[in-house]
Amino acid sequence: MSKKPKSAKTKSKLGSLLVNGILLLIVLLWTIPTIGVFVSSFRDPFDIQTSGWWSVFPHKEWVKIDEFKPADDLDRDSVMKIAGVSGTFAEFRAGILKPDGEKVTWVGNKRLGMIQIQEKKWVTRTKFTLDNYDKVLSGKKYVIKTSSGATKEFQGDNFSGALLNSLTVAIPATVIPILIAAFAAYGFAWMQFPGRRILFVLIVALLVVPLQVALVPILKDYVKLDLNGTFLAVWLAHTGFGLPLATYLLFNYISGLPRDILESAFIDGASHFTIFMRLILPLSVPALASFAIFQFLWVWNDYLVALVFIGAKPDVQVFTMRLAEIVGSRGNDWHLLTAGAFVSMVLPLIVFFSLQRYFVRGLLAGSVKG
Amino acid sequence: MKTKRYILLSLSLLLVFAFALTACGQKPTEETKPAATEETKPVETEATAGTFLERAYAGEFKGTAVTMTGPFTDEDAVKFDNSVKAFEDATGIDIQYEGTKEFEATISVRVEAGDAPDIVDFPQPGLLKTFVNQGKVVDVSTFLPQSSFDNYNQSWWDMATMDSPTGSIVAGVWQRFNAKSQVWYPKDDFDAAGYQVPETWDDLVALSDQIAADGDKPWCVGIESGAATGWPATDWMEDIMLRTTSLDNYDKWTTGDLPFSSPEVKNALSLLTTLWDDKYVYGGREAIVTTFFGDAPTPMFDEPPKCWLHKQGNFITSFFPAGVQAGVDYDFFYFPPIDTQYGKPYLVAGDIMAMFNDRPEVRAVMEFFTTGASVKEWLAAGGALSPHKDASLDWYGDDVERGIAALVAQSTAVRFDGSDLMPGEVGAGSFWKAMTDYFSGSIDMDTALSEIDASWPH
Repeated sequence: MSKKPKSAKTKSKLGSLLVNGILLLIVLLWTIPTIGVFVSSFRDPFDIQTSGWWSVFPHKEWVKIDEFKPADDLDRDSVMKIAGVSGTFAEFRAGILKPDGEKVTWVGNKRLGMIQIQEKKWVTRTKFTLDNYDKVLSGKKYVIKTSSGATKEFQGDNFSGALLNSLTVAIPATVIPILIAAFAAYGFAWMQFPGRRILFVLIVALLVVPLQVALVPILKDYVKLDLNGTFLAVWLAHTGFGLPLATYLLFNYISGLPRDILESAFIDGASHFTIFMRLILPLSVPALASFAIFQFLWVWNDYLVALVFIGAKPDVQVFTMRLAEIVGSRGNDWHLLTAGAFVSMVLPLIVFFSLQRYFVRGLLAGSVKG
Repeated sequence: MKTKRYILLSLSLLLVFAFALTACGQKPTEETKPAATEETKPVETEATAGTFLERAYAGEFKGTAVTMTGPFTDEDAVKFDNSVKAFEDATGIDIQYEGTKEFEATISVRVEAGDAPDIVDFPQPGLLKTFVNQGKVVDVSTFLPQSSFDNYNQSWWDMATMDSPTGSIVAGVWQRFNAKSQVWYPKDDFDAAGYQVPETWDDLVALSDQIAADGDKPWCVGIESGAATGWPATDWMEDIMLRTTSLDNYDKWTTGDLPFSSPEVKNALSLLTTLWDDKYVYGGREAIVTTFFGDAPTPMFDEPPKCWLHKQGNFITSFFPAGVQAGVDYDFFYFPPIDTQYGKPYLVAGDIMAMFNDRPEVRAVMEFFTTGASVKEWLAAGGALSPHKDASLDWYGDDVERGIAALVAQSTAVRFDGSDLMPGEVGAGSFWKAMTDYFSGSIDMDTALSEIDASWPH
C-alpha cells in the first residue's frame, strides 16, 4: 500500500524533470544565436571573418611549434622525406601524423610553401575588443584622401541623434493609438448605439489589410497637406496601422470586466467618462501594458513606415536606418551589426521589463467575488 | 446630456474609422499632380545670359536647396558630400543628399506619390527606364549646353537615351562609374611565386592550371549577396559575352533580341562552367553560391594565399582586409580577350543622375554633374571612376584606379553591365536566380537559360 503513492511521486518527479529538461534544451537552442551574436560583437572583424564565435571557448587545435622552408632542390612532384616522415605533396598538404602525435603539414603551394610542425593543443581565442561598440556608439571615422593629397578625417554620425529620433517617433506612436483604442473599446463594449456591430466587424476586418498597400495613397495625402517629413506624419501613420489590433485587443479585455462593478457605478450616478477614467482604465492596465509593449516594439523596429514618411536625412532618421547604414554602401562593415543589434536591444528590453510586472499583477484578481 | 455624449462618441468613432478607411483604401480615380514633368514649371532659358552652371557660379541661385536621393550611404555619402562641397560654397546652393539602403523600394513609392526628390542617383538604368516610360523624368537635353555633351564619349549619351511618352529623351547624366573587367591578384606573393600576368585567354587558363598544379586553387569566387545572390555571376557572363561575340550581339542580348538559349550565350556559360570548376575554385564549386561576394577575396590575403585570382569591379578594394596596400599587396590585370577579333572591350556600371523636378538651381546642379569637377574629390578618395573627358588621370588617389581609368580609356569598346540594362524581372531577378541555381547544381544549363528566357516581359 505504501509503495503506490511513492512510485506515483517518483513518476511525477521524473515527469517534471523530463519537462524541465526539454524546456531547458529549447531555451538553450533558442538563445544560442543570440549568444553567438553577443560574443561576435566583441571580436575584431578579421577574427569574425576567419573563425566561428565558438572558437572563444577552449578547444583543441593544431598549433604551429616549428616552421621552416623546404629545401629548394626537393622534388615536389615525387615522394618526399621531410622531418622524419615521407609522403607526396598532396599528403603533406593534408598533414602527415608522426607517431609522437605531432603533425607535419605543408602550408601554401609548391612554390612558396612552408613546412610546419604542429601539435594539438588547448586553445582559447580571447582577443576581445570594444571597437565595434565604439564605432556604433560614437560614429565611424572616415579618413579620406582629398585632391590636395592630404588626408582628412570625417566623423560619422553617432547613435544618439537616431536614438532620440526613434524615441520621438515611438513614444507618441504608442500612446496615441492606446488612448484612442481604449475609448473605442469601451464604447464598443459598454455603450449601446446603432451600427455598433457592423462598425466593430469593420474594424476587425481592417486587421487583414497589409500596410504596404496604404503607403502610396497616404503619402499622396501627406504631400498635399505638406505633412511629409514631419514626426506628426509618422505618428498618425503608426496610429492608423496600430488601431485595429489595439481596439480589438482592448475590446476583448474591457468587455470581459465584470458587469457588477459598472452597474453599481451607474447606480451611484457615474457618467461614462467617470466610469472610463476611474474604473475601466485602472482595471485594464494589464491589457494596456501588454498592447503598449507590442506597439512599442513594432514602432521601434519599424523601418519601412519611417523611411517613407520621414525619410533618411541624418537629422530625422530613426535608429533602424542608422543600423542599416552602418554596414556601409555594399555591406562591407557588416560585423558592426553585431554590436548595433545589442545597442538597439537595450531600450526595448527596458520597456519590456518595466511593463512586464503588469502582466503578472492582475489588478482584478480578488477585487470582485461572485 | 447622455444622447449628446453618445453622438459625440459615435462621431469620433466614425472619424477614426474614416481615417483608417482612407488610410487603407486605394483611390484609383484620383490623378496625382504630375509634380515631375517638364510642363509644370517652365523655366525661362533665354532670359538671362550664360548656362545655368555659370549663373549658379554668379550667385544667382544663392540660398536655394536641391534634394537628392540615392543608394549610397555611409562612407560613400561622405565622399559625395565632400566632392560637391566646393560647388555648394561657391554657388550657395545646398545639395541635400539622402541615402537609403532600401533605395529601390522607396523611390518607387515616392515618385508614385508625387514626392520625388529633385535629383535621383540610379545605379541601374533599368529602374530609371520605368520612370522615363511613365513620363516622370525631365529631358536634360533641353537645357544642357553643348560643352556638357562634348565632355563625354557618345556611348554614354546613347546609354542615357530612353523612351518616354513624348518621344525619346536624354534621361540623365552620368556622374561616375565602376569598371568590372579586371582581375585582382596578390602581387607580392604572385611575384615571389614567379607567376606571369596573362595577356591572352590561353595564358589565363594556363596560369590557372599552373596554380592548380602547384597545389592551390587559382580562383576566389563568391556570388552570395543576400536577396541579390547571383549578380557577380552575371558580370562574368557579360565579360565573357563581350569577348566571344560581337558588340552587336551583346546589345541585342541586353534588349532581349538575342535569347539566352542562343548558341552565343550558351557558349559563354559553358566557358564560365569550365573555369568555375572544382579544380579551379577555392572551396569547390558548391562554395561559389554560399560565399559572400565581399568575403570571397579574403583568402587571397592569407599568408600564403589560398587562392590567387579574383575578378570583380574596382569597388571590391573596400572589402580588402585593412592595411593591405595597392600596388604592393595587390594589383590587377585586364581580363584578357578570348577571341581577339572582338578587341579589348571594357565592362562598366555606373550612376546616372536623373532629374524629377525642373527648377533653375536643379538644372545648374545637373550641369555641374556633367563636369569632372563634380567627382574630383571622390576620385582622390578612391572608389569611383570618372566618365568625364575633362577629368585628369592625375586626380585619382591611387595608382590602381588610375591604371583602371587608363585601361578603360584605351579599350576598344565600353559596354554597360548587361543585367542592369535588362528589365528588372530579368536583370535583377531571373538572371541572378538561374545563375545561382545552375552553379549550386539544382538545374542544368538548358533549364537555367530557358527559365531566364521565359521570364522576359513582353
